[in-house]
Amino acid sequence: MKVKKVLSLAAIILGIAGVILALIMDFSGSENPLRGAILVIGGLMVLAGFYFLPSKNHKKIINVLFLFPLLLAFTVTVIIPFIFGVFYSLTDWNGIKFENFVGLQNYITMFTSNDYMYSVVITFIFSAINIVLVNVIAFSLALLCTSKIKGKNYYRAAFFVPNLIGGIVLGYVWQFIFNKVLTVLIPGSVSMLTDPNLALLAIIIVSSWQYSGYIMMIYVTGLQGVPKDVLEASAVDGADRLTTLFRIKMPLIANTFTICIFLTLINSFKQFDLNFAITNGAPSRILNGVSILSTELLALNIYKTAISKNQYALGQTKAVVFFIVLAIISLTQVAISKKREVEM
Amino acid sequence: MKLKKFVSALLITAMTGALLVGCGSNNSTNTNTGTDSETTTENKTTENTSKGNVSIRLLNGKIEIDAPLKAYAEAYKQKTGVEVVIESLGGGADIAATLKGYLAAGNMPDMFVIGGEGDYNVWKDYMEDLSNESWVSDTDVAYVSPEGKVVGFPYAVEGYGLTYNKDLLDKAGIDPATLTNINAYKAAFEKLDSMKDELGITAVVSMAAEAGQMWWSVANHNFGSYLATGVENGDSKYIDMLKKGEIDRDRMTQYAKFLKLLFDYSDKNTLISGTYDDQLALWAQGKTVFIHQGNWIDPSLPSYNVTFGMGIAPSAFMEQDTDGILADAPSWWAVYNGGKNIQACKDFLTSLATTEEGAKCLVQDCGMISPFKSTTVQPTAPLATDLMKWVQAGKTYPWHWAKMPDGFAMNNLGPVFESFAKGDVDIEGFVDLMANAIATLKQ
Repeated sequence: MKVKKVLSLAAIILGIAGVILALIMDFSGSENPLRGAILVIGGLMVLAGFYFLPSKNHKKIINVLFLFPLLLAFTVTVIIPFIFGVFYSLTDWNGIKFENFVGLQNYITMFTSNDYMYSVVITFIFSAINIVLVNVIAFSLALLCTSKIKGKNYYRAAFFVPNLIGGIVLGYVWQFIFNKVLTVLIPGSVSMLTDPNLALLAIIIVSSWQYSGYIMMIYVTGLQGVPKDVLEASAVDGADRLTTLFRIKMPLIANTFTICIFLTLINSFKQFDLNFAITNGAPSRILNGVSILSTELLALNIYKTAISKNQYALGQTKAVVFFIVLAIISLTQVAISKKREVEM
Repeated sequence: MKLKKFVSALLITAMTGALLVGCGSNNSTNTNTGTDSETTTENKTTENTSKGNVSIRLLNGKIEIDAPLKAYAEAYKQKTGVEVVIESLGGGADIAATLKGYLAAGNMPDMFVIGGEGDYNVWKDYMEDLSNESWVSDTDVAYVSPEGKVVGFPYAVEGYGLTYNKDLLDKAGIDPATLTNINAYKAAFEKLDSMKDELGITAVVSMAAEAGQMWWSVANHNFGSYLATGVENGDSKYIDMLKKGEIDRDRMTQYAKFLKLLFDYSDKNTLISGTYDDQLALWAQGKTVFIHQGNWIDPSLPSYNVTFGMGIAPSAFMEQDTDGILADAPSWWAVYNGGKNIQACKDFLTSLATTEEGAKCLVQDCGMISPFKSTTVQPTAPLATDLMKWVQAGKTYPWHWAKMPDGFAMNNLGPVFESFAKGDVDIEGFVDLMANAIATLKQ
């Protein structure tokens, strides 16, 4: 017993020392080819040491140990860049290095720039329509797929397939359809993507087409979880189809509604792939004597600010505000929806 | 029972078929400079393995010259033992972001492409001074920093204007050498438009102005003629005015008249919703007489079995004659001053500039015009040959549009051109929109 304890502690200490050594070498710019190996071996030794450490709280240690890879990945790829991002938004970072601390100047610039405010408005409009449309379509399809119709399993798979096609490819395919196919099918017409309002409608159509299948699956699961005895009881009491739907089924799947509205909310606000591929911001619209890109949603606006206009600090600022706004909206939505759920 | 099985088998086949539809191979490469539309990224970085062998890496921004460059690198390695790894990317925006990623990761290439002033300001602390190289005196278009240091190696000269189909112009009896002012163009367009059936064309000009993917063709290239046509070499007054947020209203109105002429005689669908491939196909298949592109379309022409003669005509928007096309180096190669093999990089660039094989690679294999005056190798591609005549006669105007701020053309000017093309505004309205857009640059 004692030997095991000593060995484990030794492994842990050595492992931590190895990790710290590797990190120091890395940050001081050394070119030692072994530093990667030392980091990994050190990490593994720490994990192994903790695993073999005989103690009363072995179960708790195992829990933390198994969560560790996921937490590490999440911290390194999400938490740390986020903290850096907030820091950079307060400086004049140009993508490589920053020189001055500018405080809240970037935030002020952002709120007074017209293209950003336009993007915010258009994103809200797009999200509102998209959320309603996706949920209505998905719910109707889910009702179809849980009814007694023939071939409903086939329908389920078929409706889900559009979700499997990646955003960018989907965007280019639909761009082709809007530009080349529809203009031939409806002779003499101009492509939908040249009118600012119709182009937004086009993005809404494609986004609903892609996402409805996924949300439909969630609704199907929810509908299948409605207890049969409640439905039988309501049928005995003489409830017709519509009453069953509105008074019995929908309240019972309220938590499904919470999830689906939450998902569609996040998805609509973060919409980038389709926007970039179908229109890349085009067509143009004239607003207050300035010609602007009319379908530039928030995510695309942030991308263009940082990458094409080379204003990394401003782009980072927009991203931070984007996060805050989205967090507030989605948390509010979940809180409100949760209050309406029924506990069975 | 059997019917059910048969129907399910049929449905499964249909669904699988639908899934496999996307697996076609797409061979069209978008060969255009300075865009961020779909790109083909070839990332083949190999590490230097053999001891004592020097290996340098070049990040090239022109995807269409990747293969000839690699062939030259192979020959160079045989001759000198220095291995040159060529990494090619397509599309302007991706390169900037990729380079920044490389710097952050400590993986900076030894030579990298810079596109102009915006890139210079970002990378100026990382570029080696090349002022003392032997080829500096042999070229006019090397990239010179504001302090007078040469930091960019020019590897090509590109030119554009209204590229024409010579056979169709001959048939219509129009001599392209006369197309040097707006009135000559007006007469020519009217004549060609009236002869549409005889010539077998659907429209006179093939032009694309859609703001999402073709903004660069109008807001950079065509706008470049407002900034440079008819102006003395070395005089940068219009770009200086633009940077201060001002425009010359009369000049802009005259330019708008020419633009309207081009738009009126363009194929409508290609103009407002066409892609680069649409625009090129329309002209290469003989359906229009002019195309607003430059000599970079040379490599794509064989795939359309093009047999007609061609040349480049000036984008002459003024009433007076302006007999020159816009030609300049599209981008330059800078040497990373933190690299380990700076001299090897300089030697490689010198060999490209001064040796016979290097000139052959740049001119004939890559299909570009050599920026070096002493080169005797002649290009073989049709537009490159035509461009060579303009360059050697000195009848060129510089690309002042490259000095506009980053992203300005794409985000601010592109939509204005699209509005004009769609007919949302008239000439006065276009000039107002441009004035408002450029006024935002007033700091």
